[in-house]
Amino acid sequence: MSTPLAALQRRFLDAMLEEAPFTPEVAPADALDVYRASVAANLRSALASAYPVTQRLVGEAFFAEAARQHLRAVPSASGDLHQLGNGFAAFLEGYEPARALPWLGDVARLEWALHESHFAADALPFDFAALARVPPEMHGDIRFALAPPVRLVRSEWPVLAIWEANQPGRDGTPGRDAGPDFIVVERDDFAPRARCVDRDTWLFLEALARGAALAEAGLAFGDAMEERLADALSQGIASGLVGSFAAPDPGT
Amino acid sequence: MVDDGAGIGLRAPHYRAILEREPALAFLEIHAENFFAEGGQALAWLERFRERYPLSVHGVGLSLGSAEGVEESHLAKLERLVRRFEPALVSEHLSWSAAGGRHANELLPLPFTREALSAAVANIQHVQERLGRPILVENVSTYLRFGDGEMAEHEFVAEVVRRAGCGLLLDVNNIHVNARNHGFDALAYLDAIDAATVGEIHLAGHEAVGARLVDTHGARVAPEVWDLYVAALARLGPRPTLIEWDIDIPELDTLLDEAAIASRHLQSAADMRERSLA
Repeated sequence: MSTPLAALQRRFLDAMLEEAPFTPEVAPADALDVYRASVAANLRSALASAYPVTQRLVGEAFFAEAARQHLRAVPSASGDLHQLGNGFAAFLEGYEPARALPWLGDVARLEWALHESHFAADALPFDFAALARVPPEMHGDIRFALAPPVRLVRSEWPVLAIWEANQPGRDGTPGRDAGPDFIVVERDDFAPRARCVDRDTWLFLEALARGAALAEAGLAFGDAMEERLADALSQGIASGLVGSFAAPDPGT
Repeated sequence: MVDDGAGIGLRAPHYRAILEREPALAFLEIHAENFFAEGGQALAWLERFRERYPLSVHGVGLSLGSAEGVEESHLAKLERLVRRFEPALVSEHLSWSAAGGRHANELLPLPFTREALSAAVANIQHVQERLGRPILVENVSTYLRFGDGEMAEHEFVAEVVRRAGCGLLLDVNNIHVNARNHGFDALAYLDAIDAATVGEIHLAGHEAVGARLVDTHGARVAPEVWDLYVAALARLGPRPTLIEWDIDIPELDTLLDEAAIASRHLQSAADMRERSLA
């Protein structure tokens, strides 16, 4: 009687991903280690390709051990390796050996935002004609949405400066040594790019990303709302950060 | 349609050179998962290649041999890619990589049992229904055998293809690697293959690690594999043939050299067919 396939496959994955022993025996026995090593190397290399700066900051050996522990807790959940690595930032924040680098989690968060932006849907042209049809008294109720490749990251640390200083060819010395950073990731001619914006603009964009109506999102500018909201919105649309909107239902 | 000529795997370091030089190739093969994005640069590149070459979409992550079936979310992305780019060929591996929602992202070996055979056949048929077209499945290189096998590898492969109604992507390097690692006769394997089912051939480099051959896709095609390829062409006739190279990717010219060797063998096989028909 052969082992049921479903049970065999679950046990084999335990052997691959959790270094568990495997029965029934396979021939040759040392072949399990060939697969284990290959699986671990593939997964680690996929994670490293999403987090190159994180790896540079901690070194290959440290990264490999962090990757091993993270992947043990959160195994790959897709046959597409480009999906691997969501949640690595949160793991690093709780990772005791990384405590001396308190910004490491936020650097990883920025790298994941860039990674996601790279694979996101292309933005459609903004529908100005439809916007013009919304009656002015309803403008405050419009819910604008960020374009698909846009991501927002904030940090108490100067993570964009750290990230820039650790690009290939740079010596790792950040151009600034203080945060906080309010970062917008966008795609420019297909290449994801990160830049800092002022705090209020970031909070405004973040409110839009949460689905807030324009009047509520504008509260991010506080007392300066009247001067700044219209400009922030028109610049957001012109630069492609704001990609679409849902008009309020005129019946309500 | 793809001519019975040679193609190469399309890898990012060669994008610009291929567009600039437009080398004569029968087709370009992509890894499906490299183009699963909803938008962005990779898909824009692929639009440019499709204007110049027939495409072959080769999946690595569908896990056709999973007892629990293939993941619908993965299949949906494959379907989106295939319907958009209408490739000449679509293929996946006769292996598995996932169970219980966890993925090893590796081409893991199946036991050669009737149960595994049925699971693979059901999954392949499901994929073909979703895509609305037949696919090719590839024999993979393996480094172990499960103790409860009920048939030989070539029987398993041929029977999956026959029952699923799919085609075979015959990887000649993988036959050579497995023949050496598991001690069977590569030519007897070829003899067991139904020529009418073979829609494509793969060639790649392997490396010896100790007593084991490892299918690395990181070297030139070995002389023994070229010999086995010639033997395969004598049995099958010419077939679209891919040069695969996935790690330590060399200059484009190295791949084109390998493709040119395959082309010469394909031409000889075609000439031989013509003479035998004359």
